[in-house]
Amino acid sequence: MKKREICLHVNGERHILTVAANTTLLHALREDLNFTETKYGCGTGECGACTVLVDGTKAILACMTLAATMDGKHITTTAGLARDGKLHPVQQAFVDESGIQCGYCTPGMVMKTVSILARNPNPSEAEIRHGLEGNICRCTGYAKIVKSVQRAAELMADESKAAE
Amino acid sequence: MTVYSTIGKSVPKIDVKEKVTGRALYAADLKMPGMLFGKIVRCWSHAHARVVKLDLSAAAKMPGVVKVLGPDDVKAKPYNTGVLDLMVDKPVGHMLGDIEDQTVFSRHVKHQGDAICGIIATSEEAAERAAEAVVVEYEALPVYLTAEESMKPDAVQFTPLKPGNHAFQLPEAMFPGNVMGWGDVDPAMKDADVVVEDTFYVPKQKQCQMEPHAYVAHFDDGGRLHCWTSSQMPKCVHIKLARMFSLPMSRVQVVQTVVGGGFGARLGMIGEPATCEMAMAVPGRPIKVQYSREEDWVASESRHPGKYWMKIGFKRDGTPIAADAHFTSYKGGYFTQGSGVAFTTGAWLGGLYKWGALRYRGDSYYTNHSPCGAYRGYGNPQTNFVVEQLVERACSQLGIDPVEWRKKWHKGVGDDGWCAGVTYPSCALDECLDRGAEAIGWTEKRAKYAHQTGVKRRGVGVSVMVHTSGAFPMLLEHTTCTVRLNEDATAEVMMACSDLGQGAHTALQQIAAEALGFGFDDIHMKTGDSDSSGFDIGAHASRTLYVGGAAVKAACEDAIKEVRLRAGQMLQASPDDLEIEDKVVRVKAEPGRRISVAEICSAGVYNFTNPANGERNGIPGQIQGYASQLASHNSPPFSATFVELEVDMETGEVKLLELVNAHDIGKAIHPPSVTGNLEGGTQQGLGMALTEEIYYDKDGLCLNNSFTDYKMLGPSDMPHMTNILVENPDPIGPYGAKSVGEAGIVAPVGATANAIYHALGFQITEGPITPEKILKGIRQHALTL
Repeated sequence: MKKREICLHVNGERHILTVAANTTLLHALREDLNFTETKYGCGTGECGACTVLVDGTKAILACMTLAATMDGKHITTTAGLARDGKLHPVQQAFVDESGIQCGYCTPGMVMKTVSILARNPNPSEAEIRHGLEGNICRCTGYAKIVKSVQRAAELMADESKAAE
Repeated sequence: MTVYSTIGKSVPKIDVKEKVTGRALYAADLKMPGMLFGKIVRCWSHAHARVVKLDLSAAAKMPGVVKVLGPDDVKAKPYNTGVLDLMVDKPVGHMLGDIEDQTVFSRHVKHQGDAICGIIATSEEAAERAAEAVVVEYEALPVYLTAEESMKPDAVQFTPLKPGNHAFQLPEAMFPGNVMGWGDVDPAMKDADVVVEDTFYVPKQKQCQMEPHAYVAHFDDGGRLHCWTSSQMPKCVHIKLARMFSLPMSRVQVVQTVVGGGFGARLGMIGEPATCEMAMAVPGRPIKVQYSREEDWVASESRHPGKYWMKIGFKRDGTPIAADAHFTSYKGGYFTQGSGVAFTTGAWLGGLYKWGALRYRGDSYYTNHSPCGAYRGYGNPQTNFVVEQLVERACSQLGIDPVEWRKKWHKGVGDDGWCAGVTYPSCALDECLDRGAEAIGWTEKRAKYAHQTGVKRRGVGVSVMVHTSGAFPMLLEHTTCTVRLNEDATAEVMMACSDLGQGAHTALQQIAAEALGFGFDDIHMKTGDSDSSGFDIGAHASRTLYVGGAAVKAACEDAIKEVRLRAGQMLQASPDDLEIEDKVVRVKAEPGRRISVAEICSAGVYNFTNPANGERNGIPGQIQGYASQLASHNSPPFSATFVELEVDMETGEVKLLELVNAHDIGKAIHPPSVTGNLEGGTQQGLGMALTEEIYYDKDGLCLNNSFTDYKMLGPSDMPHMTNILVENPDPIGPYGAKSVGEAGIVAPVGATANAIYHALGFQITEGPITPEKILKGIRQHALTL
């Protein structure tokens, strides 16, 4: 298999790595770079556990993305959202609303929430539910995840008000 | 009402920060120096076959391959993933017919995905490529997908230990006539004014925990075997691995990683035997085995499907004078929980209503499906689908309101529970029914939706359930706990109880804080490492809070007893005259005479001797509390679920609108975990009722081993949910608590089926109730729009 050298900026860190043409971003993040917060749930783009952000707010499935196509891109994982030990408002919202049980879908849910709120800072409940389709959770029945997204919208609104 | 400092408070769960940053380590996240990768080579082409040729020589020569292992290389003794032998006494296990019919690798393929051999390589890719180079030739055997087929006299036998492929029936020695129940059913049934009877099919549902199974094992140079696993029962895995590999227990360590959901999928052992077998073959090298989602699907266990016949006789006034039931489950390829589920399915039936007479038969036959094991509810959702629909049909024929009938005939305080003699100490089901009915608008909606026409028809349905809090008296309900007080008056709680995401460790920490009188953050839970935790039978049967919580409470009380004793000596007062508040011990009558708990603990640790006079500066010894807790009762929770939905008569689609869960929790130790478990259980129960079933083709090959083809309800499919926690403290459970872990899945099954019945006017007896079945029913009943 042909290999090539690529550069990935992950959570603000620059990484040079050699990947095969068929290496997925999930594999590169988890196995080559140890960003194990990006979870393997199905490997076929059906569960959303591997969701990461490209260029800040665009959610993609790392298992369905070839690493080579991400050369030079900025990738954010959930570990990269927390700054100086302080949780990102979306993370804080999941903690506050108990939107986390086993936690395996959580990194993907958090990433997806950031992308939903970036497009629509004040989503309705139906918009939240629609936005979360594709990210499977088997523990919560989605009730507390929907509440977490609503809470995240509030916290982010407060934060941007405070910044004004 | 008792005022608690920590119990009942919605503290943030202890593991959420690690989980929300993604830094919590699950088994698949572990990496170790020198780690190798194992691949279990499975049969994907057949559901029933014999391996007639197995040639591993080409695979062994593939790049990166360290070792290949075939069936003849297996050192581990045969096993049963269910590990029930650790939880029932030998004679009882023998009577129940439990057997160990699984081997690490096999030449008799009994289901698609059965394990043939193993590859150990330097990378996962190398192992996968080598797996493709394994040469296997099969002789196809007849495929049996129902009990009716596998019980035929000429059928291929799955094991010589179970003639006729009859894996299980209720044992004669325990249940004369192979039936469970009481009274004389046949004459009672003849006296009935109204008889309802039908044969139902309950579907094969998959747990679908989000984390696929993964393991790391390491047989170190000192001859000690280590295994990192997400098993729900780490201590049982510890004991079983020692026995399987003929190692002393002290030479085996099992560490439970963070667990990415369980729901029964990780009960006992799944991939630990194969991973350890491979680790033993490469001493000194850690080895990781990561299941793909497809592997997880076909090679780990599911709910027991099968045919469930039932007949109930009622007097005109609604008295249920006789119930007769027979559940024949399709076992899959191995015995696993063969005795347990067939028993409990009937036990929940007997524990729910005051049948005048009851006769339940439970049989299980081997089939060529993936093995059936434990899945949240353990037989109870199956029973709920059947009994609640038949009760509903009877209520309709008798003209009795279904809520009122249930209030009159459910079992309650003092009645026998799932086993004779184990009576219910508490029951708040009447309040659950009243408050749930009010919340959903029962009376008004039942009337409003009674005679609908048109394309969209609504219905509202109810179902009730009783579950369990631990498996006493059937299983050994034993959990040990050690509480070590640090010299700064904080504590380590050491035990093997598992948190699968349900919040158990948070609730156990709350119990420890309350019992010690310490702050919540003063406690650290050290769990899941067999090196530091004693016996425990794991997270199943909704037992962790009820039995594990009682163990934590007892161990903490043991430690506090010692604190009081020492305080008494140090303050020269009787321990009975002391009170403890905010980690300070005071003499009740003279609050000025006081000593802090930290001073007492510290004096025990830093117990210096004065070199001048040889006197010690306090009472020596670090304080530890201990409990080896054997539950002596079982206080089951009850609940009532109400569902409102809308059926599209043209497409057969069901839209879920409202759902109310009213749960008799006793006392909610950690309310967000209680409601979270109910909501999550509900998603699974609704799925069993409406969409979830593993399908097979005629050759026994799985048709839907993915999240695309196996349909679970998504965020937009879920109804608006309301939780009502009825707190009526149980006299036995720790701080009055009863269980919630499994309960949420049960009653939504029957309530959904009954709401559809209310909307359509006919019942669908085959689960899941898909749009196809609804449309077929509409045609059969000649309903017009």
